[in-house]
Amino acid sequence: MNLTPLVEAGWINALMPELLLCVGGMLLILIDAFAPKSRSVLSAIAVIILVATVWVERAIPGGLFFGGTYQISEITQLFDMTFLLAAILATLFAGDYLQREGIDGGEFYALLMWGTVGLMMMAKGLDLLIVILGLELVSICIFVLVGYHRRLVIANEASLKYFLMGAFATGFILYGTALFYGATQSTNLTAMAQWFATNDAAANPMLTVAFVLLMAGLGFKLALAPFHGWAPDVYQGAPSPVAGWLSVAPKAATLIALARIFYAMSPALPHVQWMKMVTALSVLSMIVGNAVAIVQRDLKRMLAYSGIAHVGYMMIAMITLRDDSVAAIAIYTIVYALMNIGAFGVVSLLSKNQNDPQTLDDIAGLFWRRPFQGFAMTICMFSLSGLPPTAGFMSKFYIFKNAIESGHTAIALTGIITSIVSVYYYLRVVYFMFMKDATEATPGTDSGVFATGAMAISILGIIGIGLFPGPLFRIAGQAASEIFR
Amino acid sequence: MILLLSSLIWIPIIAALVLALMPGSWVNAIKGIGLFVSAAMFVVSLGLVTGWREGFAGMQFPEELDWIPQWGIRYGLGVDGISLWLVLLTTLLTPVVFLASWNTIHKHPKAYVIAFLIMEAGTVGVFAATDLFLFYVFFELTLLPMYVIIGVWGGKNRIYAAVKFFLFTIAGSLLMLLGIIYLVFQHYHETQLISFTITDLYGTAANLSSYTQALLFFAFALAFAIKVPLFPLHTWLPDAHVEAPTGGSIILAGVMLKMGTYGFLRFVLPFFPEATAKYAGVLIALSVIGIIYGALVAWVQPDMKKLVAYSSVSHLGFCVLGIFALNQTSIEGSILQMVNHGLSTGALFLLVGVVYERRHTRLLADYGGLAETMPVYAVCFVIAMLSSVGLPGLNGFVGEFLILSGSFQTHPTAAILSATGVILAAIYLLWLIQRVFYGPITNEENRNVPEIAWNEIGALVPLFVFIVWIGVHPNTFLSRMSPSVQQLLSQVQHEREHKVLQARVGQPPALSGQAGELAIHGGAR
Repeated sequence: MNLTPLVEAGWINALMPELLLCVGGMLLILIDAFAPKSRSVLSAIAVIILVATVWVERAIPGGLFFGGTYQISEITQLFDMTFLLAAILATLFAGDYLQREGIDGGEFYALLMWGTVGLMMMAKGLDLLIVILGLELVSICIFVLVGYHRRLVIANEASLKYFLMGAFATGFILYGTALFYGATQSTNLTAMAQWFATNDAAANPMLTVAFVLLMAGLGFKLALAPFHGWAPDVYQGAPSPVAGWLSVAPKAATLIALARIFYAMSPALPHVQWMKMVTALSVLSMIVGNAVAIVQRDLKRMLAYSGIAHVGYMMIAMITLRDDSVAAIAIYTIVYALMNIGAFGVVSLLSKNQNDPQTLDDIAGLFWRRPFQGFAMTICMFSLSGLPPTAGFMSKFYIFKNAIESGHTAIALTGIITSIVSVYYYLRVVYFMFMKDATEATPGTDSGVFATGAMAISILGIIGIGLFPGPLFRIAGQAASEIFR
Repeated sequence: MILLLSSLIWIPIIAALVLALMPGSWVNAIKGIGLFVSAAMFVVSLGLVTGWREGFAGMQFPEELDWIPQWGIRYGLGVDGISLWLVLLTTLLTPVVFLASWNTIHKHPKAYVIAFLIMEAGTVGVFAATDLFLFYVFFELTLLPMYVIIGVWGGKNRIYAAVKFFLFTIAGSLLMLLGIIYLVFQHYHETQLISFTITDLYGTAANLSSYTQALLFFAFALAFAIKVPLFPLHTWLPDAHVEAPTGGSIILAGVMLKMGTYGFLRFVLPFFPEATAKYAGVLIALSVIGIIYGALVAWVQPDMKKLVAYSSVSHLGFCVLGIFALNQTSIEGSILQMVNHGLSTGALFLLVGVVYERRHTRLLADYGGLAETMPVYAVCFVIAMLSSVGLPGLNGFVGEFLILSGSFQTHPTAAILSATGVILAAIYLLWLIQRVFYGPITNEENRNVPEIAWNEIGALVPLFVFIVWIGVHPNTFLSRMSPSVQQLLSQVQHEREHKVLQARVGQPPALSGQAGELAIHGGAR
């Protein structure tokens, strides 16, 4: 192993976004500690820091850092933008929400930012250890964020559940990584790629064990069936903006890391049966997620199962493993951030006793009571179900197109049929909003400036990408070719 | 002039956006804007007729713009003889809907107007798209407003009807999407060019195995058969029609069902000529069953609206029969019959809605002797009925005659069996007239029903004008469609012969689609 050149010139510029977020998070905690009266502006400060990070992100130089373990390129920039978008949307929704719930605090935004730093590390890591470090950083932030409603029983339950199961999953990932190291003498993905290109992977059964362990651990983080059991409970207990963020950002980071691992292994894949397992996970997720979502009346649980199905769709791109698979995943995650955090954000506006489930009845007549919230939710639902002219259609179309072009027609057919099923439950939300009459007990709050802004970003993003997907496709297509450069 | 079709799509959408920002309490202003915009769109669409190039078969008024260049997807619009009258039907029916429902929509009038404007934009888009992807987007776009229209302003069982309508249609169209991607990929495989332009894709399927061709054929045919709807996929239609508000029924029957028959003509026939020839018998059999079954079920309906709905199943069966009989006369008749059905069934739904608004029942048994209390209404109803039955001199006769005489040449048995549908239509519609309008007034409530209002008559007049026009001088309409139909048929024929030739000689096929492409570019002026 080559340990000599640990620090390259210009590393501080390259790490600027991460550093900015780390320092910004600390700043928010300090402001909260020394000037508790200024709590109401914390979310505004957080948004400013995040937007500033977006601005910095655009300017950072590309290249490899820290001995070839940390890659900065167009694709990592694109994924960083996705994480920042998710964080901005979650922060905008959280500002009003936390104040309403009386649990406002600087550490909330700080944790969100540090979690984003972890995600950036996962997306940039060319070494499995960096990926695991990032993953742990995110997980620790998530444990706290999920249980942020600390007086609520379901929040504590959710946090504990995620902690215990997440710890197990990390164990699996570490064990799998250790076995990979044992077989290939490296945790560096570039070195692993060389090993896979020159050695026969099928000859070593230890690799299969390593792959299974790795997939189980990462499958947990992705909420892929059958590792999805935690998702509905955790989403239900977590504050709604956190649930939205949690359902998108960590999945995006895990997917890019997984894509890197798969590309590293790609010479070996035709000779081993691993892809069959991934296919099974994808198909199972699409079926389980969509089938179980039908019977959910709790909005957050329904979105959790829909999320399981969506990861199943994203995994189709992983199965095809073409040149533009990463582009398809990048586009899908951006779109998913817009529509899923938007949907969770609207749910967060249905304020009431958070221990109670937030059921479909709570959004009855929402479109007529609060047209903008209802409209935002409608757009998110149509996009989630993949109907044109929304961004959800474009991203799903990309995935199915890839699948058919690479000869996976059967998987595409499964995706299409499960999509038909999914239309039913997304449409049911629309039906409650348009066609059910609200009662006295139906909850709801007027959205503040921030939440309205977040919904506007969602709507404009979904429709904008739905009508003019060309530029995003071009950017993602160019960026995807750089995944190993 | 160049952007005629785009303006038909985008002006209603812009109007809908403007309306969305207006306060909902300005009810009359909102209704007025809706009516004005849709009427203006009709006037604009007349430009299609006045600027029409006679005797030209390809796409006219073409518009081309790169949309998603990476995938070869274009924003391409154009109309030919097949789609011209369907676009006009759409622009005609939308102001009719606004006029007819001027006084009847009290719940959320703003959303109602917006939904119908988006519906109009989507429908024109479906008929005018020359890019498969764009077509698909518009095809699905029309589902959303119709779902809301049925679900919000519909009758008692509206939710069930709306969801059933949506799920049936989306199931078919998503499978078609799979077929679309497969076809485009196949085209890419053969030519290394990625394109969704419809004319580029003609002939692509010819090199596929007949098994794959059959699968693709059915993926497309299923989507359109659900939309038409063809027996036995028609079950969503009576539910949707009965529950939909009057305006929704008019648009649903008038233009939405036509997307199915139009899809057969535009895509299924030219894309899969071989499979079409092979499976035309199946579709003809289903349409004949639909014609007779729809008529028989309509006969026994106690509910007027359900009766008209089932008569739609029967009438649309004629259209599909005409298409798959595959000759000039029958296809022209079929296109004409699509327009006819939109006019006459639209008028019938409107008229049923008129009396329903006044009496809140649609049961035939609740009426009787209405001709005494509402003479003008009775006259209107009889005209619409006669048009639907196919009285010579009115539009229905021309369409049905062309379809039957055309299909008699190729499928005499089917034509003879379908002719019974004409007789049955006369039976159930005359039966309806007799029970509703004649005889003594048995129900006292029918004595003081107010006469048909001016806005409702105003909505009916344009429909009647076209009903008579098509009946008396169908050549205005037929002459503009026949070059396109001719080209379609020769293409279907050509493809099949080409295939036979290729099988004999064993040569690789030349890249087809050139004829269509020339036609498109020739259309630019």
